[in-house]
Order: sequence, then structure tokens, then C-alpha cells
Amino acid sequence: MATTIWVWVAAFFTLAILSFLYKDNPFYRIAESVYVGSSAAYMLLFLWSFDVKPKMIDAWVKGSTTDRLILIIPITLSIFMLMRFIPKLRWISRWAIAFTVGMGAGLGVAGLLQGFVVPQIKGTIVPLWIANNFKQTINNWIIVLGTLTTISYFFFSRKHTGVFGKFSRTGVMFIMIAFGATFGFTIMARVSLLIGRLYFLLHDWLGLI
Amino acid sequence: MKREIPMIITFVSGMAIIIALFVPHPPFGRVEETFNNWYIIISGFTMILGLNSLLGHNLDKVKRKAEGWPYSLTLILSFFITLIWGIVSTIRTGHIFASTSTFRNYYYTYVFVPLQSTMFALLAFFIASAAYRAFRARTVNATLLLVTASIIMLTQVPKGETVMAPVLGVAALLAVWKLMSEFESAASWTAGLPYLLLSIAIVAVYLPIVEVLRTQTTAVNDWIMNVLQMGAKRGIWLGIALGGIAMGLRIIFGIEKSYLT
Repeated sequence: MATTIWVWVAAFFTLAILSFLYKDNPFYRIAESVYVGSSAAYMLLFLWSFDVKPKMIDAWVKGSTTDRLILIIPITLSIFMLMRFIPKLRWISRWAIAFTVGMGAGLGVAGLLQGFVVPQIKGTIVPLWIANNFKQTINNWIIVLGTLTTISYFFFSRKHTGVFGKFSRTGVMFIMIAFGATFGFTIMARVSLLIGRLYFLLHDWLGLI
Repeated sequence: MKREIPMIITFVSGMAIIIALFVPHPPFGRVEETFNNWYIIISGFTMILGLNSLLGHNLDKVKRKAEGWPYSLTLILSFFITLIWGIVSTIRTGHIFASTSTFRNYYYTYVFVPLQSTMFALLAFFIASAAYRAFRARTVNATLLLVTASIIMLTQVPKGETVMAPVLGVAALLAVWKLMSEFESAASWTAGLPYLLLSIAIVAVYLPIVEVLRTQTTAVNDWIMNVLQMGAKRGIWLGIALGGIAMGLRIIFGIEKSYLT
């Protein structure tokens, strides 16, 4: 039996959460509350240590006068964000929200173009005939057909009937295969987490294995 | 002006990032970096708004002695204990994740990680339970989902290739049994013929398929992940990306203004 108090704490929280499999109970509710509360504090500390402190405090201390003048803008907008707590000045917080929304939208457009649209189209433009490599030729056909039929399923400007209907129904088959594969992977990821927790209980806590 | 200024800010910040993508020359690269830093700082402050909502709601429950108030009190106490612990640890060691930080060595290792990983592990049971109810090989599409998920799961576990033959054998037997009962209840011999042919096909391909899955487990898993499901994933990703871009442009050009309400 492990003597470290912290192993017992971890074992208590692990068992308390797993107890939900039987039914909702006070032990689970306590562990859930501790998880939510401590995670919120952890996120706050994480944001401070890795985002706000290096980008704002350290940049202010180490920066030149110009850097400091530039930093006044995000600091002012951050203070504006907190104006939501003062009903009369609540409207000022919209400026900060507008900046984050605009940045989010801009980063979204740029990121999706760079990270998804271009690489995915590039990955789909593959040769449909490779001499002396029948296997790769078939694989390329499957990828191209899968992409086009899946996109056609999400094209709602035209009725899914006739040839187009058959094309989009083939897309559904590809989608089902993709969902099946994703589901299988997700299950295995969760099961590996469960194995980790069970190993902790049996090895670190009880010392049985 | 209470609406126009925020819309101008949204337009300028959004367009600056998009222009920086297409014009990778000074001063746009620097503007993008500066705006990104601002975004990180301001987003950090939005956490305070979220915390105000979380703590305010739970504090209100404690004050009113509403149902489950002891849990709300536990939440508030665990928040402040973690926060104070983190601050003290940071002051003592210089960084929250320093190797000598008690916050990292005790709170993170023995409280945060067990809570988070057990919470996510719990989902394995719920997903399996939902799958048991939803995974019925009633249609071709449902069967494709079931078969792909089963193969992926079996190819991921140790000794999966050994249990593959009996698992698929039971599945094939059930499928043949179902098809044969459809054949028996068919109105005429010709109407039931497709069921009979499908049963024969399943029996005929069972052994070769099991042999391939048993001997080339990793190759089959890779082929499903890199080829068979890749087309659909690409289609879905492209759809999501195009939708996201359209939404982003709507926000930047002030067509979508719900964030101002």
C-alpha cells in the first residue's frame, strides 16, 4: 500500500468519478465540483504565466518606450473589457469584444485558408493513373471519389435525385466509413485513458501489479 | 457611434490579419505579430468575465442555501485554494511549472491529471453504451459504420488479430442468419434470391477477409485511415473550412452583428 498521502488523494478522486457509473452520488458531485473549481483556477494561472505575463508585464518591463506606448492599446482594451461590470460604461466593452471578434474572424479566415482549404485541395489533386502501380491508382481514385461525393452530399442547392442523388448517396457511405473510423479511434483513446487510471489504482495505489 | 466604432475595429483587425496572409512583406508581418499579442492579452482578460459568472452563480447558490449548495461551496473553496497555491508556488520558485514547484509536483500530478483523465475515461463507458443502442446493422450505411469501427478497434488492441476471426465469424453468422430468415419469408423464390446470393457471398469472402485482416493488421488499419476514410474527411474539412471562411467574412464586413447585442 502506498503511503504517500497524495496517491491516496488521487485514488479518492479517481474512484469518486468512476462511482458515477453506478449512479449519481455525493462523492462524484464533490469530485466534479473540485474539478470545475480547480480547473478554472488552473486556467487562470496558466493564462497568466504563459500569455498575459510574458506578453504584457515582461514586454512592458523589458520593452523600449515605443513598445510601451504600443502596449497601452491592448492594456486599455483589456480594461475596457472589464467595463462590463459597470452598467453605465458597459458599451465600452464592445470595443474590446469587437477587436477579439475581428481578430478571431481574421485568424479564422487566414487559418482555414492556409491550414485546410489549400492543403486539402492540394492533397486531393492526385494522378488518377500511375503506370505500373495499380494499387496506388485505385487508392487515388477512392480518395478523389470520396472527396467529391462527400462534398456533393453537402451541396443543397440542387435536389438529391437521379444521377446526382446516387452520387451523394455514395458520399453518405464514405461519410459512414469515416465516422466509423473516428468512432473506433475515439473509443480506443478513451479506453487507453481508462487503462491508465486502472493501472494507477492497481499499481501506484494498491501495489497489486 | 456605439455600434459603428466596434464595427470599424472588427473590420480593421480582421482585414489586417487577412492582408498579412496575402502580403508576407514588412510591415504586415510585424502588424500581424503585434495584433496577435494584443489578442492574447485581451483574451486573457475575458477569463475574468467567465470567472465572475462561474463564481457569482455558485456564490449566489450558497447565499440562498439552494439545492446542492455544499457542492457550490466546494467549487468556490477549491478555486481559491488552487489559486492561492499556484500564486505562492510561483512566488517561491519563479514559475508555476518549475521543477521544484509544489503546484506542479502535487496539484497538477495528483489532483488535476487524475480528475481530468478519469472524467474523460468515463466517456468510454457512455460511448460504448450509446454504441450498443445505436449500432444496429439495419441498413447498409449503419453496417459500414459498425464494420469500420469494429475493424479499427480490433486493429488497435494487442492480440486484436487473434480475436478478429471469432468476432467477425459471429458477425458473419448473425448476418447470414438474418439474410436467410429474410429469404424464407420472401413472397417468392425470385424475390428472396438477392438475400440468398448475399449470404453465399458472405460465406465465400469470410475466410479470405479474415486472413488478410489477421496477417496484415497494420496495413489494413493504415489503408482505412489513409485512403478509405480520407476522402470523406477531406470533404467534411473542406465544407467546415468554407463555412468558417464565409462566417469570418460576414463578421469582418459587418453583415453578422450578433456579437454587438
